[in-house]
Amino acid sequence: MTRDCACWHCGEPLPANPPHATLSGVAHAVCCNGCRAAAEWIGELGLADYYRLRSEVASRVPDPVLVARNAAVYARPALSRHLVRELGDGRSEALILVEGVRCAACCWLIERAIGSMSGVASVEVNAHARRARIVWRPDLANLPQIIEALARIGYRALPLDVDAIDDSRRRESRAAMKRLIIAGFGAMQAMMVASVLYFGVVDETTRNLFRWLGLMVATPVVFYAARPFFAGAARALTTRTVGVDVPVALAIALIYAGSAIEFARDGEVYFESVSMFVFFLLVGRYLEMRARHRTGDSSDALARLAPAFADRYEGGGHLSRIGALELRPGDRVFIAEGNGVPADGVLESASCRVDEALLSGESRPVVKRRGDALITGSIVVDGTATMHVERTGANTVLAGILALTNRAATQRPRLAQAGERAAAGFVAGVLLLAAATALVWGFVDPQRAFTATIAVLVVSCPCAFALAVPAALTRTLGVLARRGVLVVHPNAIEGLANATCVMFDKTGTLTEPRLALERIDMLRPADRAGALAQAGALANGSSHPVSRAIAAAANHLTLPEVAQFRTDVGNGLTGVVGGRRCRLGRPDFALSDAVQAAQLEDAVVLADDDGAIAAFHLLEQLRPGARAAIDALREQGLEIAIVSGDAQPRVAAIAARLAVTQWRARMRPADKFDDLAQRRARGERVIAVGDGVNDAPVLAGADVAVAIGAGADLAQAASDIVLASVHLGALADARALACETMVVLRQNQRFALAYNFTVIPLAAFGLIAPWVAALGMSASSLVVVINALRIGRRAEEVAGRVPTPAPVKVTA
Amino acid sequence: MNALLLLIPLSVLLLVGAGVAFFWAVDHGQFDDMETPAFQPLLDSTVEPAARAPGEGSA
Repeated sequence: MTRDCACWHCGEPLPANPPHATLSGVAHAVCCNGCRAAAEWIGELGLADYYRLRSEVASRVPDPVLVARNAAVYARPALSRHLVRELGDGRSEALILVEGVRCAACCWLIERAIGSMSGVASVEVNAHARRARIVWRPDLANLPQIIEALARIGYRALPLDVDAIDDSRRRESRAAMKRLIIAGFGAMQAMMVASVLYFGVVDETTRNLFRWLGLMVATPVVFYAARPFFAGAARALTTRTVGVDVPVALAIALIYAGSAIEFARDGEVYFESVSMFVFFLLVGRYLEMRARHRTGDSSDALARLAPAFADRYEGGGHLSRIGALELRPGDRVFIAEGNGVPADGVLESASCRVDEALLSGESRPVVKRRGDALITGSIVVDGTATMHVERTGANTVLAGILALTNRAATQRPRLAQAGERAAAGFVAGVLLLAAATALVWGFVDPQRAFTATIAVLVVSCPCAFALAVPAALTRTLGVLARRGVLVVHPNAIEGLANATCVMFDKTGTLTEPRLALERIDMLRPADRAGALAQAGALANGSSHPVSRAIAAAANHLTLPEVAQFRTDVGNGLTGVVGGRRCRLGRPDFALSDAVQAAQLEDAVVLADDDGAIAAFHLLEQLRPGARAAIDALREQGLEIAIVSGDAQPRVAAIAARLAVTQWRARMRPADKFDDLAQRRARGERVIAVGDGVNDAPVLAGADVAVAIGAGADLAQAASDIVLASVHLGALADARALACETMVVLRQNQRFALAYNFTVIPLAAFGLIAPWVAALGMSASSLVVVINALRIGRRAEEVAGRVPTPAPVKVTA
Repeated sequence: MNALLLLIPLSVLLLVGAGVAFFWAVDHGQFDDMETPAFQPLLDSTVEPAARAPGEGSA
């Protein structure tokens, strides 16, 4: 994108006569007055550095008048009660979902700009969660002012429910951080103490002192840091299953208890082994949790999809703007063009056209007539609507899809977590061996039974085994993250490697959300550019995707004036262009000749009173690299299927272009889920790739779910893998890397097994000195980690061609 | 060896102190966002004082 043709603030294409924003005396072309106001205000605050520091362009600035009207709604007590929390000391706090946060510079800008408002006490912005926590004095500032200020610098703000303030993620990540550090401190100190015991003991007093120290540092590690393992084991036992946590918890407990008893009997202690073991395991879990927290959660997704406001008809017939939370069944609401539907209901006005793309996968807006159902979160693209509200909140279709998603996620087949399960099996085996050792020594020499048993446990201390999997996975996760593939659930790596089939959604996944003009057929001898300019002039007046595609194609032309412009919902546009009455739209609308109209069927026709001028053929655009990605996946031996909610001909066309033979159209979310279930029943392991809310159930139920980063947050929340770039080729690379990971992982496991089979018999016969055991343990762990670092090395060298990830767009 | 008997408990005390300080930091949100604050020291000096709006600034 070059600076000359794009808005200085938001990077969108410039109109013919762009306004200019003046910063520090330099004029920059911007796309609209909103962006100009934002840029100049940022300059006035002395924050122009933002433009130098940002790594992504900002989002287009919303219309300030509209924002002010919306922000005022937040002053309503009925709404603010849900959104603002009173802190004890006379201050108020709100958690705000800020849309349009793209990079760290955005956070900086928001903290500066909002922090400098009088009455605002503190602002914290988290770029990943896109959440801002703002504390202010209610006597000096209020929520509407803050929201308006955010809008002035170009960020749409959505206050979240107060319940979200004490979110579980923050609690979880803080607890995990504390545990990790305690285990880290403990392991470090215990290792230091142990090395003195092994190599540097001088006299009895020193030895006793250091043994005491070992006990002191290991105790909090076992009783505090290792608690998740014990809790997990307890949970598994109450449900009568044996998870991974059971043997791990048992090993920790046995080594610690054994060492404590030996401590009392003046024997060998292994506090450092148990501390290191806990620390390594926690590192793996912490990394996994961080990856999981990077994607949005489903409550945020709902907040973004459903509009925050509604215009309700009051008793006297006038409209009042209220929060969507306040709506009740039976209310009548008005929805302006371009706005979202705030609740489920029935259309009362004559007709309008609604974009349900995110909810149903339908790529083009559908026409709704009086009595048709409207669903929450869909957008009225042309015309206005009056709706009778029937269902709100948790009863809406949108909330239903969310519930289906959550259910599918809990029913998700536990992937064969080969790594963890093998480690668990191994630990169980070692425990049996240790028991056997204890038994045999009990007959031979009861004195040595205990020492030998503990030695078996320590020397086999499943460190290498426990690390074999997380080390490889962590490395893979890192390599993939650099390529714009975010792995949320590390199990997905194994799923990717084992998959047999990929199910793609069409709209928004394989294709761009926008349409593009494919070709213009002239229907009578006329100037092609002139026809396009005429059509572009008409199309400029409408926000329909077809109009936008034509307007975009005509962007470089000088457009004639349009008079008497009119939108005929569901049909097309009319207006007087250059003195002639023109129509642009469906063939049967634009043309009086029904025979000609039938021939043109799927095209958009420009006509005047003399008949047809030109036919515009629109095409969904494939995402860059879609074809290459599908070919690459097919080459890797995967079956490819397209399952879409869109109409048959459009799905067929895309399938043909991608040479995909298995495709199904008109699939509702539940149908897609059935299709998935059938495939799974046939023994296929399925990777599902999708972007929309309608894909969420399928994603949640698939063996591996891949979401497009630019898609709906709900889809991301239901996924194992999020593609930060829209470059589908990353998926094929990720699969190749996953296969490589599985190879390294198996090598690691085999090595760990071989090592342990060599040393366990020695330990069982009481032939291994404790310091040799400790050394062996560390060395074997090191070998495993170094081996894991090989993953992706080859690919990194090839990866000079890696595309830079496109900005992750926020769905509105 | 007497020095050891004094110094080692002292180091343990220090360790406990570090642990307490760390817990305080975690509870006060110092580790909630590990990426954004990295930008702030780079930027602080570049804000022109004249441009600061009235008010208490970001706390």
